[in-house]
Amino acid sequence: MDFRLTEEQELIRANIREFCQQYLDPIAVEIDENSRHPQEVFDRLAEMGFMGMPYPQEYGGAGTDFLTYAMVVEEISRSCAGTGFTFSCHTGLGTGPIYEYGTEEQKQKYLVPLCKGQKWGAFALTEPGAGTDVNAATTVAVADGDEWVINGTKTFISQGTFADIFIVFARTDPAAGPKGISAFIVTKDNPGLKVGEHFRKMGIRCSQTAEIILKDCRVPRSDMLGKEGNGLRMAMASLDNGRIGIAAQAVGILQAALDESLKYASQRIQFNKPIGRQQAIQWMIADMATDLAAARHLTYHAATLKDQGLPYTKEASMAKLFASEAAMRHASKAVQIHGGYGYMKGQKVERLLRDAKITEIYEGTSEAQRMVIAGNVMR
Amino acid sequence: MPDIITCFKWAVDEADIRPQASGEVALDRVGYKISEYDRNALEAAAQLKEAHGGSVTAITVATPAAKKGLKDALSRGPDRACFVNDAAFDALEPAQTAALLAGVIRDRLPFDLILCGEGSSDLYAQQVGPRLAQELGIPCVTYVNRITLEGSTLLAERKLEDGIEVVKVELPALVTVLPDINTPRIPGLKDTLEASKKPVQSVGPGEAGGEFPARLQTVALRATSMERRCVRFPADDAGIRELVEALRKSGAIG
Amino acid sequence: MMAGIWVVAEHADTALELLTPARQVADSLGGPVVAVWLGRQEAPPLFAHGADEVLVCTHGGDDQPLEAQVPVLVAEALQAQPEAILVGASLRGREVAARMAAALGTGLGSSCVALRVRTDGLVEMDRLVFGGRAVQTVVCTTRPQMATVAPRTFSPAPPVEGRSGTVRTLPAPPPSPVTVVERKPKPAVSGDVAGARVVVCVGRGMEREEDLEMARRLADILGGEVGCTRPIAEEYHWLPEHTYIGLSGQQVKPELYIGIGVSGQIQHVIGITDARVIVAINRDEKAPIFEMSDFGIVGDLYQVVPRLVDELTRALGK
Repeated sequence: MDFRLTEEQELIRANIREFCQQYLDPIAVEIDENSRHPQEVFDRLAEMGFMGMPYPQEYGGAGTDFLTYAMVVEEISRSCAGTGFTFSCHTGLGTGPIYEYGTEEQKQKYLVPLCKGQKWGAFALTEPGAGTDVNAATTVAVADGDEWVINGTKTFISQGTFADIFIVFARTDPAAGPKGISAFIVTKDNPGLKVGEHFRKMGIRCSQTAEIILKDCRVPRSDMLGKEGNGLRMAMASLDNGRIGIAAQAVGILQAALDESLKYASQRIQFNKPIGRQQAIQWMIADMATDLAAARHLTYHAATLKDQGLPYTKEASMAKLFASEAAMRHASKAVQIHGGYGYMKGQKVERLLRDAKITEIYEGTSEAQRMVIAGNVMR
Repeated sequence: MPDIITCFKWAVDEADIRPQASGEVALDRVGYKISEYDRNALEAAAQLKEAHGGSVTAITVATPAAKKGLKDALSRGPDRACFVNDAAFDALEPAQTAALLAGVIRDRLPFDLILCGEGSSDLYAQQVGPRLAQELGIPCVTYVNRITLEGSTLLAERKLEDGIEVVKVELPALVTVLPDINTPRIPGLKDTLEASKKPVQSVGPGEAGGEFPARLQTVALRATSMERRCVRFPADDAGIRELVEALRKSGAIG
Repeated sequence: MMAGIWVVAEHADTALELLTPARQVADSLGGPVVAVWLGRQEAPPLFAHGADEVLVCTHGGDDQPLEAQVPVLVAEALQAQPEAILVGASLRGREVAARMAAALGTGLGSSCVALRVRTDGLVEMDRLVFGGRAVQTVVCTTRPQMATVAPRTFSPAPPVEGRSGTVRTLPAPPPSPVTVVERKPKPAVSGDVAGARVVVCVGRGMEREEDLEMARRLADILGGEVGCTRPIAEEYHWLPEHTYIGLSGQQVKPELYIGIGVSGQIQHVIGITDARVIVAINRDEKAPIFEMSDFGIVGDLYQVVPRLVDELTRALGK
């Protein structure tokens, strides 16, 4: 396998990196402290054509491959993992299902503004009682003439407070179990949709996470996404895709942990020499660099499989599992290298540690990834 | 509708220069980039084109390895690129670069205005711009932080030690720009993708007309020590004098 | 027959400084030292400081830039065939030198910080490259050997009483295609610590807010800005928050950083690692800043800084 980037990919990486250094690094501490969604950064990203980048140009995307997209998620996350997540969650989960399963009419109406960054997308699957056990969902949709009427509560919905277009999963056939769930496109202006306050989180604090309540929420039949009863399969496929995004986010965190550790190890003087000359520090950095390389390879490999139209479920789960656990491990080591300073607010490594934790949880916990991987290798 | 040529250098990224224990400078493990000041020249060209129409051609003289820089340059606005390249062009001195540029431009590229950075971010000799103007026999305006074009008349603000000098010149002319003339754009995704489709004209040394002998020879290249010197001076008049002298010698004052 | 060493300058200080290396080169290679006075003002006492011959430019009207002299200088150099030409590296001087070199078909060492004459008659020129990370030594393989020399690289040549010589006035140049429309004198600079060439940084060693004036004087004389450590901005509020340097504040990369009363806590020091030259003035000889400084003075800043200001005033001729 060859992950040498093309000239174009290298340029795109250099440009997004410069962009982040210029526009994101300076505000990263502030948006974390204030849990603020940096819309101004996304306006610029949209202007530069990054929103919706892996989708075709005819729908307002840039038509890049998924590997390039994963690389961009990684670079944004290297600067601010919360911003990287909002980018990948909108592009992957919030936009992808409409591209994959939408009718041409739905694509023109919803996909185009999503790709252009004019509208925000959100993926409303999780419920208070249905996390990893997706099939336990209790949100229901009942047909009524030309409409579906949806009732239920969705929780931990990223971009929830400001999203324009929600992809909502609801049970349309209570008797059909996993095959009784369907997907709907619900817009923010629907009077049956209420968005709760955004949750205060440990990390990725600039990402806005909210509960949404659907009460007699009426959507036209034309806004059902994909086939009736196909919702769970679509959700799972979308999550495979989303997992590459989370893996890329974790790779970005790992890279940042290494960047910060290298910088500090060469500058911090103890016992009359930089601490980087101590073997104890060198070993931590060697392990960090090695796991970073492994995580990146797994992630790029999964993205490449997707680009080639090959199955990638197992690889996406492996990438997410390994990258997120490595990010958690090494963000902790990066704090350790920084000693007391690393424990202080406003320090990047302190933020990295808090941001890393969520990558082991959302879009499938580490345990769920192991289930997927085991299911694939033990069949 | 001016036809603009903008010159750029595919330069060693100075941030990658690390001193070896021997004091030598290892140039085999460094990255390359478009010289910082040339990004300002590319941006100035793009802005002039946006305001006045016309065309922009980016030109560089380099080894074939600089091919990568062409896409980078083209993603910053030019319509096309001219790539003067040869394996022997790895350590050109400014007189050679200017002569090669002049040879190629004279024969192949009609222009109204040539833009250059004030110097290159690696060697910073600040010669290629004025030398190129001299070789082509056109007027030269250096150290410019603002350009206004009115028909074929160019107004430029030069930022010099003693203040601003506003000058006027009829095109064709050559202008070297300062970093504060603009903030170079970061190319968007489509700019990068479209750069691959723009035409590149490759020119070999034999096609540049004439000989380009080096007139300057590098006899040594030594890293300046990155380790802090930790020299202490006494807190008396003599010590303070020594400090000022040391600052002068290190080029920190003056 | 190559003959003589030229010194070309538009500023009096630079002209007198360039006469120092010019004399050394002339002593090695022979020939007279010829001073070419580019300035519009009256020439300084060039003979007294070592010139054997003085050439003075004839300037056109106010709309003529200094660079208009290039054709005259080129014609004169072709005639006189000097062995070497040293040009003061003012911005105008750099353009003049580069265009002369192109017209004369010779090489040019730019903004040199040291010159040495080799036994084979070539002048080795040292210049900073890669953003100050390396020194390149070049020689010019053609004649005249040309160099621009950074101001204040050399001390002015000492005056000798009773020296004199002939002043020759050069012909007026043809009208320049580039004409000056307006000259605006330099506006006062202020405020940007991150982009400053020189940063004077105040730490907790400073006792009173009004003593900041001392730091300002030091910064002014060096054309720099005053920054501070975090407590000065956040606890004492003596300076605005955007002037504090360090991990969560500004990252600076000046040519010269002078810390006065700065102890050198890591959070601060991380913001100055890219400074090219670091100077520390602190009473506490164990202050960590001395470990990462190029130059240090252990002493009371209230004693040292005013004297440093005086010495710099003298040295920089201000």
